[in-house]
Formats: sequence, C-alpha cells, structure tokens
Amino acid sequence: MPELGLIIEVVLIFIKVYIVGMILFMLPLPLTWLERKVAGRIQVRLGPHRVGPKGLLQPFADMVKLLLKEDIIPDKADRFLFKLAPLLAMIPAFAVFVAIPVGDTFTIPGIDYVFKLYISDMNVGVLYVLAIGGLGIYGIIFGGWASNSKYSLLGGLRSAAQMISYEVALSFAAIGVVMMSNSLSLVEIVKSQGGGFWNWNLFYLPVGPVWFLIFFIASLAEINRIPFDLPEDEGTLGSGFHTEYSGMRFSFFMLAEYIAMVTISVLAVVFFFGGWMPPIDPATFGIKVPAQIMSVWGIGWFIAKVVVFIYIFMWIRFTLPRYRYDQLMTIGWKILIPVSLITVLVTGLMRIFLT
Amino acid sequence: MSEKCKAKLINFVKKSVFADFIRGLYITFSYNFEGAMTLKYPDSEKWIPYRRFRGLHTLNKNSEGKELCVACELCSRACPTDCITVIPEENDAGRGIADRVAKVWEVDLTRCMFCGYCEDACPTTAVRLGREYELACTTLERGTRSRDELLLPQPVPEALTGGVVAKARFIRSADGIKVVAELGKVRQRKL
Ligand code: SF4
Ligand code: SF4
Repeated sequence: MPELGLIIEVVLIFIKVYIVGMILFMLPLPLTWLERKVAGRIQVRLGPHRVGPKGLLQPFADMVKLLLKEDIIPDKADRFLFKLAPLLAMIPAFAVFVAIPVGDTFTIPGIDYVFKLYISDMNVGVLYVLAIGGLGIYGIIFGGWASNSKYSLLGGLRSAAQMISYEVALSFAAIGVVMMSNSLSLVEIVKSQGGGFWNWNLFYLPVGPVWFLIFFIASLAEINRIPFDLPEDEGTLGSGFHTEYSGMRFSFFMLAEYIAMVTISVLAVVFFFGGWMPPIDPATFGIKVPAQIMSVWGIGWFIAKVVVFIYIFMWIRFTLPRYRYDQLMTIGWKILIPVSLITVLVTGLMRIFLT
Repeated sequence: MSEKCKAKLINFVKKSVFADFIRGLYITFSYNFEGAMTLKYPDSEKWIPYRRFRGLHTLNKNSEGKELCVACELCSRACPTDCITVIPEENDAGRGIADRVAKVWEVDLTRCMFCGYCEDACPTTAVRLGREYELACTTLERGTRSRDELLLPQPVPEALTGGVVAKARFIRSADGIKVVAELGKVRQRKL
C-alpha cells in the first residue's frame, strides 16, 4: 500500500496535466481572434467584428466550420501517414509543456502543503524541450510526403531543411542560456535570474542581448513564422505541407502551430526575461511580502510577459515580407552559427574570469 | 577612408542593429493608433458619395416643378450601350417646360455602364446621374427603371456635398436589400 502523500502527488500531477492540456486546447481560440485583430489593426482595417461583441465569438464560428467540413483524403495519398501526420505535429507541441514552469511553489496556507506550479522539474529541462519540440517536424514532413502532392512535398522538404539549419543556432542559444544560468533545469534557470530585471539573462552584458537575438531569430524560423514561413509560402506552394488537409486534420496543424508559438514565447520569457520573476523584487528593498502573494503575482508577470511576446510574433508577421530560400540558408549558416560560436567563446571566458 | 568604405561600414552597422527592421516595426505599430479605414457597411454605416459620383439616373424638374425633359431623345442617341428608351408625346397641360414631354423614359441598368454621356448630351440638364448606388436586385424587372421613379426626390439632397460616412440602418425588403442612411449623423472618413 503506497503512502497517502504519494497518491495525492500522483493525483495532483494528473489534475495538472489535465488543466494544462485543456488550456492548451483552448488557447488557439483567443489566439486566432487576437491574430486577426492585430492584423486588422496593423493593416488599418477592423478585423472580425460581426460575430459577438468585437468579433470575440468568431473563433467559435470558425471551429464549427472546421468541424462540419468534409474530411478529404486525396486518392493517392498514403492513408496511414496522412492520418498520422497531424497527430505527430500536435502531440510534441503539447508534450513540451510538461517541463514548463509557470511559477515556483505555492504554499497553501493553513495546511502548509507545498503546491508546485510546474508539472515536472526535470534536471535536463532545456534538452527535453528542445528535443521534443524538434519532433514536431515529423508531422510536417509526413504530412508533406503523404499528401502525394508536389506542393506539399516541397513544403515538407523546405521545412525539414529549415529546421535542421536553425535547430543548430537555437541549441547554441540554449547552450548560452545554460552557461549564463549554470543549470539545465528550467526552474533553476528562472531562479538564477531573480532579484530584479538587471539580473535577467537579457541583461547579462555584453552577451545576453546577442543570445536573445540569436534565440529569437532561430525560433522564428523553428516555428515557421514570417519572415521564415517558407514551408507554407502561399505564393509558390499553395499552402505548403497542409495544402491537402481539410477540416479537423487541418485544424490540428493550426493548433500545433499556435501552441508552438506559445511555447517559443514561454521559452523566451523563461530563458531571457526571468520567467515569473517580477522586474522589481520588493525583497531587494527590504519590503516583506507574503510568499503566497508573491507566487500569484509572479504568475501574473509570467502571463503578461508571454502575452507581450505573442503580440511581438504577430506584429512581426504583419510587418515583414518573406525571405527567399537562399537568404534563409545564408542567415542560418553564415551569420547565426558563426555569431553564436563566437558568443559561446565570450560567454565561456566571462564565466571563467568574472565569477 | 574612402566614400565607398564609409558607406559600407554604415550599412554594416545599420544591418547589425536592425535599423530598417525597427523602422518597419515602428511604422506598423503606429498604424494601431490610426483607427480603421473600414466602414461598417452595410451593418451600421454607409458612404455618402460626392456630387460628382455617377450612380442611378435622376430626372429633374425646374423650380416651378415642371419636368425639364423635352423628350428630344439625344440621351438615347448618345448612349454607347443603347439602354435609354424615350418615347415622346404632346402635352399642353404644363407637365414639362415645353409641350413635348416623355411618355416613356426608361433606362436599362443591366446594360448601363454609368459613363455619364447621357447627362452630357441632355440640352436641358434633365437627366443627371445621382448618388444612389445600391442597385442589386432579385428580379430582372427591377433592372429597368422608368420615369415615375426617377422623378422622385433624391434620398441624398443636392445641397449635401457628400464625402462623409453616415450612420445607417440595414433594411431587408421584397425589393432587395437597402441601407438607409441617417443624414443627420455623419463623420469624416479617415484618409
Ligand atoms: S450613363 Fe452611359 S450607358 Fe448609362 S444610360 Fe447614360 S449614356 Fe447610357
Ligand atoms: S433627358 Fe435630356 S436628352 Fe434625354 S430626352 Fe430628355 S431632354 Fe432629351
């Protein structure tokens, strides 16, 4: 008979997984609305405004439409892979969130139970996130291959090449973060940035901003967003790997894409912007604030930072045109990777001589 | 340092601090505060065009209420698409400014291309292209508009310069869909 504590722990983990899963499933609804509103604003138009107040119910209308659509599988498609691909794209996007902390711990007052605000604090969290996040590419490649359409295949190939090129730079950026924070665990990385915004990795001068830029550019390419969204380049490829998909399967791809955007925003916040740490910590001024309030306050900051990042991703999407394929490769191999190698060196020397 | 070298250096510095990129972001961000160009047509707003707009034809009367049209048929001759039908008749009762008035004056809107040649040709400024532009209809008969209807006063009075956005109501009727503007409540359009 296992102890009661262990059972409670396991049940709690199930509940947390369920809550996180539900939130992630629901996230694309506000995000599509937001994206279309942002697009409208930037293009001096209104965006959705007819369904519900301010168009807020538009995503539900879209959802109903997608659910009711016929689910077409092309005649010559590889049926098994075709059905598997959307799931392969979606599941890793969800799985990444196992390692992501939204806060440290919350001590429930009265019973003194320490509630962890993350599902699991892996000691190799960074590696896990990068590895699982990288798996999503299989969905895209399979989708491109199984559709038996040249446009889909080209989209799939492009995204494979792009992922391989930029995964390197992204991993380097992660290495930089690990060096700056001295840990591979995401919780530890955030904790090392506590105490005020000048302790954030972004302000680890002079290398912090460089790492952030490398991370940001590489992650834009990783999640296939403009200016690096060549895999779904409407102008030349129809819509790339999901050209042949419709209905629910298509929406799985969309879901995966939005969640990838959230993941990258969360990672940027955790790596460089101090996660749930508020920019100015009252403790540095000797003001005592109860720990419970601090953790709730921290979650607020975490969400605020993530929302800002999501906005920035959308903002960039409607500002920049798309890169050409050779430019994409040039940026990846000839600029990002050499720069990150140099920055690794500088960061290493700083760690040796400054600490 | 040579000019060329200098230009190259400046270019490099600009690129490495993402100068152009940031400018682009600034521009798109500033659009956020400009408000939308889009009108909420047909839900709650409607564009009132300028006087120069060439919409549905109108037949006009003079200040004494007499029809200006003298049924000279010049408009129907001038029309490139041959869509105006004028049949004259004699009338001494003072319906028009002369004793020759139009018995039938019809324009076939399905053929009309709103070129305005008819109003150019008219010697008495009887036919004018008005500001009515909601001409979609569900029956072919509605595609032909005749004298009685065109003589009615305009929904947008001549005195109004136009070029504004008016509050409007959306009305569905057997005749088709109409958006009725409330001319009292207007706003300028952002340009
Ligand atoms: S506007 Fe042009 S096409 Fe239309 S009735 Fe007049 S002359 Fe004919
Ligand atoms: S509208 Fe003018 S041009 Fe046409 S028949 Fe009448 S007077 Fe003549």
